[in-house]
Amino acid sequence: MSELPRWEVFKQDGPGKVHQAVGSVHAGDGQHALFTARSVFARRPAAVSLWVARADQIYALTKQELDAGKGLPQGGSGSFHIFGKKTNRRSMVLGDHLGTLDAGSPQDALDAARLQFGDELLVWWIVPDSALVRSVDSAETVESWFAPAKDKTYKQQSSYGVVGQHASAHKKAARGGDHD
Amino acid sequence: MTQIHTAPASVPAPAALLTETPEQLAAFEARIAAGDKIEPGDWMPAEYRRQLIRMISQHAHSEVVGMLPEGEWISYAPSLKRKLILMAKVQDEAGHGQYLYHAAETLGATREDMVDALLSGKAKYSSIFNYPTHSWADVGMIGWLVDGAAIKNQTMLAGCSYGPYSRAMVRICSEETFHHKQGKEMIVLYAQGTPQQREMAQDALNRWWWPSLMMLGPHDADSPNSGVLSRWGVKLKSNDEVRQEYMNEHVPELLEAGLTIPDADMHQDEQGNWKHGAIDWTEFWAVVKGERGLNKERLGARQQAHEGGAWVRDALDAYAARESGAKRA
Amino acid sequence: MTETALTRPILTEAVKLALIARFTALADDEMILSHRVAEWTGHAPLLEEDIALANIAQDELGHATLWLGLRAALDGSNADALAYHRDAAEFRNVPLTELPKGDWAVTMVRQYLFDAWEVLWLDAARQSSYVPLAEAATQALREEKFHLQHTALWVERLALGTPESTRRTQDALTQLWPYALGLGEPLPTEADAVAAGLLPDVADVQTRWQRLVRGHLEGVGLSFPTLSPLPYNRQQHTEHLVPLLADFQRVAREFPESRVW
Repeated sequence: MSELPRWEVFKQDGPGKVHQAVGSVHAGDGQHALFTARSVFARRPAAVSLWVARADQIYALTKQELDAGKGLPQGGSGSFHIFGKKTNRRSMVLGDHLGTLDAGSPQDALDAARLQFGDELLVWWIVPDSALVRSVDSAETVESWFAPAKDKTYKQQSSYGVVGQHASAHKKAARGGDHD
Repeated sequence: MTQIHTAPASVPAPAALLTETPEQLAAFEARIAAGDKIEPGDWMPAEYRRQLIRMISQHAHSEVVGMLPEGEWISYAPSLKRKLILMAKVQDEAGHGQYLYHAAETLGATREDMVDALLSGKAKYSSIFNYPTHSWADVGMIGWLVDGAAIKNQTMLAGCSYGPYSRAMVRICSEETFHHKQGKEMIVLYAQGTPQQREMAQDALNRWWWPSLMMLGPHDADSPNSGVLSRWGVKLKSNDEVRQEYMNEHVPELLEAGLTIPDADMHQDEQGNWKHGAIDWTEFWAVVKGERGLNKERLGARQQAHEGGAWVRDALDAYAARESGAKRA
Repeated sequence: MTETALTRPILTEAVKLALIARFTALADDEMILSHRVAEWTGHAPLLEEDIALANIAQDELGHATLWLGLRAALDGSNADALAYHRDAAEFRNVPLTELPKGDWAVTMVRQYLFDAWEVLWLDAARQSSYVPLAEAATQALREEKFHLQHTALWVERLALGTPESTRRTQDALTQLWPYALGLGEPLPTEADAVAAGLLPDVADVQTRWQRLVRGHLEGVGLSFPTLSPLPYNRQQHTEHLVPLLADFQRVAREFPESRVW
């Protein structure tokens, strides 16, 4: 058999925050991908919602590709989620959910997004709403899927903060310099 | 979690493809110099892509194989707290492998091909994981030394020029500090514990000290891939620079814990840098080449997991096909 | 966890022993199952599932320490001493949890049957008049609900996947079902505590559990075996527990004078 399909994962860290592209998982179907995404990307705080979409259903373009005149398909109207990468700053996510818009095609969605969200973005992802599988937005799901991670303090480095403090002070004094 | 080494002779020299123009290369290198991140879809030299796939997939393999030497100790952990911590730690290694495979997949490699390359022995992984774990204290010492050395590399790679690799490394670094600290906490405790615990901690240090220094790679003069990787913003520091940082951080802390570093020639220079004695690389290369260590056992375990799990992946595939068929009907 | 003024008066010695027995059984179930699940580490069929199983193993071990904490509040016992310095005959887990991890179908079917039981027992225990138990049940239930959704999803995919996965899943259910019924056996000492509203009535939980798991498993085409009684229970273990504990307790017992790890 060929490998299981790849699903891009979008995680929302808290109420009032936007979903961000955090990585991908291999899984059989959308529901399986959602549960897998929870295991992989929400085993530490914080999350309140996850979305997944098959990687091959996402339209991605970099600024360089756009500048070179590359475009997206013209057919297939619907609702599209726009994700964008804004800066080259060090980050563990590709980019943020910027908004949702209805358009006649992925290309139309991109054109509208460039007008609406600015033209300087470094990477664009256009995700058809029909491709998304989402975790349930309910207090019960947040409690059962995401909240318990906060109690797992043994996997937080801050639980081990005291160890070696004396030694690092000693090291700093010995070297008389700072360190990243 | 670590850097990979292939014997120098096996690395072909980088060659520019005929389709790549000097203008393209110059524009690419200007972007690197300006601090841009290269993203999937952007133009990149074929050699940049090839080197990244090699490096990232080998990192991913190292994480996955790296689950094995410590994973077997989950069953034997001597307290419920340590059992829980070790489960979370080895889980993170799987997670790190997962993030890294993702990064390599953005370059056009498939998970399937990468796993095949690992299982067939074609791809390398860090030879540090071919050393056996003899005692419970090895778990702590791996966390303190091996993960401590890995963090030095990972912190550097978090600033690398390829976007997905950099992002994976930022995520990994945020988790890896826990690995380092839990190991250090454990060893400091044992170094001040019962005579048996002290002996176990010292024995673990004796066996892991030199391998951890060697895992940071050959001396700069003998490091064949470094040139092109540093030119293209992948490797931002040399092996010896990273090793020096590692020494300066770890030596004072190990000494303060009351342990003896097994290097009679070790000393501090006038700038306060801790200098190690001469490294005996013959054992390192023997382990890299699979002449020593547990290469066969490690790969065997992964092959068994992969083959034993084939029917499960087939079932997922069949279920998904059936569901999408039902939806279409 | 401390006793409150409200709960203290109702704890007669007999009731206290019943609570201790139930907390021990719960802790041993979770601890032993967690150990078995963790044996997959590095060996799961998909890298992503290695991560998922490690979550389950950690959650179950976390719950074990929760129950041992409740026990400690009643008798001052030490969790690590109970885990590492009891012999097999003193363990009170159901034999279902000590069986070897088997293949992926055995692991998932066992976990599903166990999670379903736990969700329903915990749901009932939230009503306990013993406040520390009601609180612990509420806390553990959150994760167990996710486990149950996750393992229900897996069992469905395995049962309906390929002929091989269907066969393996049916074999797993046939093997495990008689052992799973052990979850529903009342502890010999707990009748008074149940009558007093301190502990759930396992007969009620058993009814709800059978309805739930039969509904789901028969719904995906599996069938339940006819039963022959097993010679095993929480007091009489299978031959698998002794070697499991030999691993579990190996380092702790090798260094008897080292009690701090």
